[in-house]
Amino acid sequence: MLRVSGGGRERVNPWTYVLLVLLLIPFLFPLAWMFLSSLKTQVQNTAYPPVWVFAPTLSNYREVFQKNPFFTFTVNSMVVALGSTGLALLLGLPGAYAIARYKRTGIALAILTARMAPGIGYLIPWFILFTKAKMIDTYSALILTHLIVALPLVLWVMIGFFEDVPGDLIESARIDGCSNWAAFLRIAIPLAKPGIVATGILAFIFSWNNFLFSLIIAGFKTRTLPIAVYSFLSYEEINWGGLTAAATVITLPVLLLALLVQKHIVRGLTLGAMKG
Amino acid sequence: MRHLGTGWSRFVERHPVPVFTLPSVVAVTLLMAFPVVYTLYMSVHSWYASSLTSPNFVGLGNFHRAFVSDDRFRNAFWLTVYFTALATALQLVLGVSLALVLNRPFRGKGFMRSIFLLPMVATPVAIALVWMMMYNPTLGVMNYLVGLAGLGPYRWVSNAAIVVPALAVVDTWEWTPLITLITLAGLATLPIEPYESALIDGASVTQMFWRITLPLLRPTIVVALLFRAIDCLKTFDIIYVMTQGGPGFASETLNVYTFQVGLFYFHIGYASSLLVILFALVLGVSLLLIKVRRAAW
Amino acid sequence: MRVTRKVWVLAIALCVALASPALAQQFNWQQAKGTQLRVLLNKHPWQGAIEPHLKEFETLTGIKLVAEVYPEDQFRAKVLVELTSGASSIDVFMSMPAQEGLKYVRAGWLQPVNEFLKSPALTALDYNWNDFLEKTRDAMVIEGMIIGPPIQVENTSLMYRKDVFQKYNVKVPTTLDELEAAAKALNGKAMTDDGQPGYGIVARGKRAAATSQFAAYLHAMGSTWLSPSREPIFNNEDGVKALELYGRLLRLYGPPGSENNHWYEASSIFSQGKAAMYTDANSLFPVIEDGQKSKVVGKIGYALFPRGPKGQYGSTVAAWGLAMPKTSKNQKAAWLFMQWATAKEQVLAVQSEKGVLGARESVWKDPKGMAKVPADLRESLTVGSKMGTPLWNPPVVADAECRDAIGAAIVVSIQGGDVKAADNKAAADVKRIMLETEKK
Repeated sequence: MLRVSGGGRERVNPWTYVLLVLLLIPFLFPLAWMFLSSLKTQVQNTAYPPVWVFAPTLSNYREVFQKNPFFTFTVNSMVVALGSTGLALLLGLPGAYAIARYKRTGIALAILTARMAPGIGYLIPWFILFTKAKMIDTYSALILTHLIVALPLVLWVMIGFFEDVPGDLIESARIDGCSNWAAFLRIAIPLAKPGIVATGILAFIFSWNNFLFSLIIAGFKTRTLPIAVYSFLSYEEINWGGLTAAATVITLPVLLLALLVQKHIVRGLTLGAMKG
Repeated sequence: MRHLGTGWSRFVERHPVPVFTLPSVVAVTLLMAFPVVYTLYMSVHSWYASSLTSPNFVGLGNFHRAFVSDDRFRNAFWLTVYFTALATALQLVLGVSLALVLNRPFRGKGFMRSIFLLPMVATPVAIALVWMMMYNPTLGVMNYLVGLAGLGPYRWVSNAAIVVPALAVVDTWEWTPLITLITLAGLATLPIEPYESALIDGASVTQMFWRITLPLLRPTIVVALLFRAIDCLKTFDIIYVMTQGGPGFASETLNVYTFQVGLFYFHIGYASSLLVILFALVLGVSLLLIKVRRAAW
Repeated sequence: MRVTRKVWVLAIALCVALASPALAQQFNWQQAKGTQLRVLLNKHPWQGAIEPHLKEFETLTGIKLVAEVYPEDQFRAKVLVELTSGASSIDVFMSMPAQEGLKYVRAGWLQPVNEFLKSPALTALDYNWNDFLEKTRDAMVIEGMIIGPPIQVENTSLMYRKDVFQKYNVKVPTTLDELEAAAKALNGKAMTDDGQPGYGIVARGKRAAATSQFAAYLHAMGSTWLSPSREPIFNNEDGVKALELYGRLLRLYGPPGSENNHWYEASSIFSQGKAAMYTDANSLFPVIEDGQKSKVVGKIGYALFPRGPKGQYGSTVAAWGLAMPKTSKNQKAAWLFMQWATAKEQVLAVQSEKGVLGARESVWKDPKGMAKVPADLRESLTVGSKMGTPLWNPPVVADAECRDAIGAAIVVSIQGGDVKAADNKAAADVKRIMLETEKK
């Protein structure tokens, strides 16, 4: 149904909520299923038809944490995600500002091509490079490789946000004798703060979820959570309780993060598309 | 020292663009330079990684082999296109439709958006795992659910005939919310005037949709489509975790095939040429979509 | 006179008996004290069994061990990627020479241990290389180089549900024809805990992974991978028959979606009680008899892989071993580890504690070593290891690629396609790959 948003006090049709719930269920279902399965025993998990009502147990989580150094994995994922996000913001914010203010779309497009290249193309050369530099199984190597995803993301989304910063504010600051750098730091950044938060969180999430790069570049000490889950899969094939517990542990942080700051994230994603 | 200080800030004043963008450009260039050069160099050589043999130049030999004599490549190429077309089409139709349906007043828009975000941010590897369980032919809940509707049971990702659609369903589940959210944002910024004049002219709802809404939304949707298409062409995580390209080779897209050739067979030369082809494919599709967007203006 | 001789014999025996411990004590386990070893292990029953004992090695030798464990696919990829880079810090890794050995040897990545074995300073006198089963020793030798010691032996064998065969009064197959008849007879019969029907047979079908088990069928039919002049001949008449049989068994009497099954899935189906027979490596014995996960503990019979129409043995002999990269900077220490891990004491521990099938004959004869191993398993393993072929993989350099090429044909057979055409294509692919990768 087409409705131009005229705002105002329209009476909300209660059926709307019914519709809403129906539409949201398919998107929630797999995640809910994952969580429920993690609370079931092996017998309950392999029952068919599926069991919907059951007494929950935490034994799968206990097993996962006891048998695997999940704490280490989490720390690794955290370090790499924070590192690559921080670095991407540091390098990318000035760039996005300049591109937005001076309308250098050429550079923007060039950076976009970095996003087009298949990840595997980076893997082998990087592996050889990092091995020769004795950097395999280090955080630095992982952070650098995650940067190739984070930096274009920061640029692409922040260009949109910086474009929103009113040019007059910057102009008047410049007239008052502000240098370019100061205008950027003191005016643009604070005004674009929601965007920075959004971008930072998006970059964090994508680094957290990264599988391919970590698979090859991470070593035993720096294994991240997606790798841990994947390892779980090959040997514990039928242990659905354990698998879903591991999967829940991995996705929970990013899910919570998304819920906490959804407003910012949605703005970030949609702006990136609309200004594109 | 002071002289240097003023000199530097003068430089920054005069040339803001290079100074501000330099860190990003340098970082990306450094990270990309070696891989790009390496890949291009290797793509015209034949080399099975070993310490004893060295790469030997074969010119366009790898490319010739891919397009002319390698069945598996042609299979991978076709599957990549098939998967991308199917997934993006599904996401587009579903996403836009959902947005239109949800574009009405109600309380809790924030909550709805939160729920929508979840599939997009959940870790793909974990998602792949959960869907694998749901798709299990004997114990999975998917067969149970479709059974309630009188359909199935299906073998889902164990069935070579429907494995690609089954995978496309997973990708659609993950990313339709993105299209919906973007479309909703776009809908919120639509101007009122065209609709008002259309109503005065007696246009029907459908006419307004096709003649006003869609064209106005087109630039936004196309950009979303662009990103999704690029990502679908390069999809790796869910396919690799769920099927590793199987059953047989029925879901072996270019990305998965290249991974096998490069990191399992260690045929670096051939893998590099496959990467060049894949990149060309992505670039081609991107240029096409950018053109479509420009046309919309 | 006789008394004097007896005295002489006694005296000599006494001297030898007194000397032996002295000789054994002379071996210096601490000669590489203070080094650190990086050991890469595949997630495998052997690794699970030896891990609790690693501290004993550290105490004995003063060498610090850093052991990294990965699941198989990742493990192989990691080792390969590291060795290719030429700058690896791996000191020891688990290896299956019959799979990747030729490639690693030709690439110059491995350090042969022939000299280590011969040197009394580096190898304890009671190590006894000849105690290892002959075919496993052979498996560890590539082009004259001994890669390292074998840690475990396995055959492709026939694992079956004793209770199901008894219940339906079916004879345990000893030939391929009987195998098919039994699969047909038992398919669809009730065989799970709660009386649900199951499949006649289950086996791997997943491309490359299935190739090693298909090898048993191939050889039982009388074919093999390469001719003496290293031409692919697995698509000859017998070979095509074997391929047709394999696909037919799974298609008609096996679980749907077999072409997706690695040993993880196949062994799961068997341990959940859903199949009457399972052809795979008998080293999976600890997995299918795992009290915590398996529903068929104690009901499994282990039989020699069925023989072919002309009486050929199909059981393949495979051995996992330990290998040392040439780039290792701690080769002496690495050899000490390889030696310790495969010394009689450790093999006995691993076998008696977890049922991992070690490669030492003396342990097979030791009642403690056989405590966890069922009698029929020992028998089928002994015969299988003597009569079987080590060629459970095509002996080529580009093993991964060739296994995938052959695996593609296996998948076609399972799916009911044109087996002969697929087999010929696989042979052509293998030939092309060999040409590209084996220029000397």
